[in-house]
Amino acid sequence: MTEKKIGAKSQAFAGLSTQDKLRKVGDLLLNNAMYIIIIVAVIYISIKVPAFLKLPSIVNVISLTAARLPIALGIGGCIVLTGTDISAGRVVGLTACISASLLTTTFKVFPEMTSAPPIFVVFLLVLAVGAVVGLVNGFSVAKFKLHPFIVTLSTQLIVYGVILMYLKNGTNNGQTLSGLTDGYRALVTGTLFSIGNVAVPKYVLYAIVLTVVMWVVWNKTTFGKNMFAVGSNEEAANVSGVNVSRTIILVFVLAGVMYAITGFLDSARIASANAATGFNYECDAIAACVIGGVSFVGGIGRISGIVVGVLLLQIIFAGLNFLSVDANMLYIIKGLIILIACAIDMRKYLVRK
Amino acid sequence: MEKQATVPAAAERDGSVLLKMEGINKAFPGVKALDNVSLTVKAGTVHALMGENGAGKSTLMKCLFGVYNKDSGHIYLEGREVNFKTSKEALENGVAMVHQELNQALKRNVMDNMWLGRFPKVSKWCPLTSESKMYAATKEVFEELEVHVDPRTVMSRMPVSQRQMVEIAKAVSYHSKVIVFDEPTSSLTEEEVEHLFRIINMLRDRGCGIIYISHKMEEILRISDEVTIMRDGQWIATRQAKELTMNEIIRLMVGRELTNRYPEKDNKVGDPLLEVKGLSAVYSHLKDVSFTARRGEVLGIAGLDGSGRTELLENIFGIATRKEGEIYLDGKRVMNRSARESLRNKFAMLTEERRATGIFAIRDIQANTTISSLPRYKSGPFLSDKKLRESTEWGIQAMRTKTPSQKTQIRSLSGGNQQKVILARWLLTEPQVLLLDEPTRGIDVGAKYEIYQLILNLAKEGKTVLMVSSEMPELLGVCDRILVMSGGQLAGEVDAKTTTQEEIMTLAAKYA
Amino acid sequence: MSEESRGNRDIQDAAPHQEKPQRQFRGLYDRVNISVGTLNMVIIVLSILLVLSMGYGIAHRGYVITFDSLGGTAVESGKQMYGELLLEPEQPVREGYVFDGWYRDRDLTAPWDMQEDIVTESMTLYAGWKEK
Repeated sequence: MTEKKIGAKSQAFAGLSTQDKLRKVGDLLLNNAMYIIIIVAVIYISIKVPAFLKLPSIVNVISLTAARLPIALGIGGCIVLTGTDISAGRVVGLTACISASLLTTTFKVFPEMTSAPPIFVVFLLVLAVGAVVGLVNGFSVAKFKLHPFIVTLSTQLIVYGVILMYLKNGTNNGQTLSGLTDGYRALVTGTLFSIGNVAVPKYVLYAIVLTVVMWVVWNKTTFGKNMFAVGSNEEAANVSGVNVSRTIILVFVLAGVMYAITGFLDSARIASANAATGFNYECDAIAACVIGGVSFVGGIGRISGIVVGVLLLQIIFAGLNFLSVDANMLYIIKGLIILIACAIDMRKYLVRK
Repeated sequence: MEKQATVPAAAERDGSVLLKMEGINKAFPGVKALDNVSLTVKAGTVHALMGENGAGKSTLMKCLFGVYNKDSGHIYLEGREVNFKTSKEALENGVAMVHQELNQALKRNVMDNMWLGRFPKVSKWCPLTSESKMYAATKEVFEELEVHVDPRTVMSRMPVSQRQMVEIAKAVSYHSKVIVFDEPTSSLTEEEVEHLFRIINMLRDRGCGIIYISHKMEEILRISDEVTIMRDGQWIATRQAKELTMNEIIRLMVGRELTNRYPEKDNKVGDPLLEVKGLSAVYSHLKDVSFTARRGEVLGIAGLDGSGRTELLENIFGIATRKEGEIYLDGKRVMNRSARESLRNKFAMLTEERRATGIFAIRDIQANTTISSLPRYKSGPFLSDKKLRESTEWGIQAMRTKTPSQKTQIRSLSGGNQQKVILARWLLTEPQVLLLDEPTRGIDVGAKYEIYQLILNLAKEGKTVLMVSSEMPELLGVCDRILVMSGGQLAGEVDAKTTTQEEIMTLAAKYA
Repeated sequence: MSEESRGNRDIQDAAPHQEKPQRQFRGLYDRVNISVGTLNMVIIVLSILLVLSMGYGIAHRGYVITFDSLGGTAVESGKQMYGELLLEPEQPVREGYVFDGWYRDRDLTAPWDMQEDIVTESMTLYAGWKEK
């Protein structure tokens, strides 16, 4: 919302009757219920555990946000197309495993290898893998007109199978991959700069760069405008001369590349990768997008919203973690957050009697 | 004087007051949609409700059916105050509506649709639905209405006009006392309109009160007994139809004199630009259509609904699959295999279904204006905000679109203004041939004039305009020549200056 | 239903226009059939549930640390808060072996450092054994 809009709104608000005002306030409360709950929760947590607002904890939240941002940026595009992508987490897992298996000192998956290939080559390879999965998703959605949910459900299973097979390769026998090269770890988790004596890792910078790139793609390119057009009315986009299939495919490929980047960063961040890496990441990413105002209505969404969404989610989970809330409970909370976010999103676009 | 028509004295002559809506108010945030509107419908009369788009006709009806909650006011049905919460409740109390856009279960058959929500049971003890009872009851109603449709036909296989008949039959089967027709003829052919009018007259003779909402003044004057005119959410007048003339209605609706319904034609027809040879379609009955259109010409395409008018434009523009046929632009063959390719070949198409295939409802004016010409606004690899803004501004100025800003969502504009935005979208692609499918559908009288003016201006710039329309006067008033389609074929070509509606109708029935 | 957009009159004010039933613009919510009132209730109920589950989580806070002695004598599990050092449990005993500390994984590759490592989640630690 621009300031102008807010100004006009407050003016209009002053002219309303008491009843209308009450309704407006009710609307405001309900439309922002999620933010209110999260803010209240954060206040409660910071009173209960003051360390939550200390520098190390803040840097931790920012780092976690940075780690989860690329995947959310990718999924955001799919949601703008009224779709979704539930293969995201598994693609992160696959690309993390590939990175960890190649940029290692132990070579359990490829015993015949003796030295790690250049990091850049592995990075490109991983991007290609993500792009291929995205291509399969996008092609099926664009050409077969399948709902993205079904398509990505299948690719999710296939990719998971591939991960398990991959980890059985060589002498690894399905175990966790670790022993990453120092160069790889330093590139990702090395210190960008330090505040006090808390180090900010380099992947925060990468996440910022990706955010800027995605912002430009969404707002300043033909592709971005076409994406929003297809999301809001596919038929009209086609008649208006937009290459609908190409746009859909590109959105999914771009998303796949984003997952690949997440996987590449994640394996170095955690210093290991296994079949469970990336599991359920898509849930967090979709939740973040919906919280951030990327609507399932299609054609609506902003990069800034996604960033805020991811940040809010990480804050609330880091906070609950500080309170030592059990991980099992977190699943329930996460599910409820997604439901509420969807209900609120829906509310904004429902018909008013 | 105007208010006197609603006093009981007049009611005695035509019968008792069936439905009375009094002092209805309804406000939406920032807008007063209905301002103390009253409406009285007597038994055995057809009461026309007229007004420009946005006058509040539909809002009034939605308040009657409980789609909206009215802020204040009373509704009396046969003297008893009612306040329906849902349209089902209204239906059960004898108030039915035949919608302009039909909401039907298209994959189910006719009788399923008619008895939906109240399927007849085999007997009191056997709660299974009885197909035979349903069939017989449906058949009975159809015979009454002279509708010749098998009750077992699946809805989606029937033309819109017949689906509308089913909707009417449904209202009849509820023994409705008040039936609202919302723009019932917008997708009907002349013949079907006649049939509809016979049904309406029959219902009236039975003592039903009919509320008839329409834009078409000829129809209103023909069928209605009383006319209520609304403007800007206010009640303007209720008059006997026989006392009214078309100009009088327009004056009341628009609130100003509207002397000319069509702008002066001053375009000059030049040499041939577009040539279509033997065009046939794969998935529709379009067959062997050939014609030539000239620079600076407005070429009308007339025909009944389903005569292949829309299909012709879609095939030229490449959004429907062509079987054979060649298109030449300025002597050069163009393929137009997709909308993209047609766009590059300087074609533009305004589709019939504005909401479904025209606008990006939740996107703003700028996005809606620039979507077809995005590559023009590049500076380097990125789009330039400045260029986007300037072009949109040009579009708003040139079309005289009424919008608060470029960032307004297009869905908050009126139909006419939406249409102008889409026209601007296409003009920004600098087309040579414009294919306009029902460019004035669902647009109010004042805005129609502006659209006609825009069309003629385009012709004056040397562009070729192909215009499909169901409104014959509009074709006669705007076009230079008119092609008449019938049953997917070209039935003939007439000169708009010399032809008559009868001649066109005869041609339109040639292969039907 | 009808094409009405309430005319030119109201276009001057840019009030939010969401009251029109424009079905085809609702994307995935196209088939949603719920009134705003009901949806409000849903949001309120879900929000209350969310607060309750957060409350429940906080009331039962603490991470459960279980110990798998892998053949040795059983060790009782404990509950600890975020950021604490692990309270060392009673050492398990196994015949023919000497206890060699606790490990994060069953494969005994990541030892748990009692002085350095802090508790951040519920977990199971595995006993390491060396043959006598």
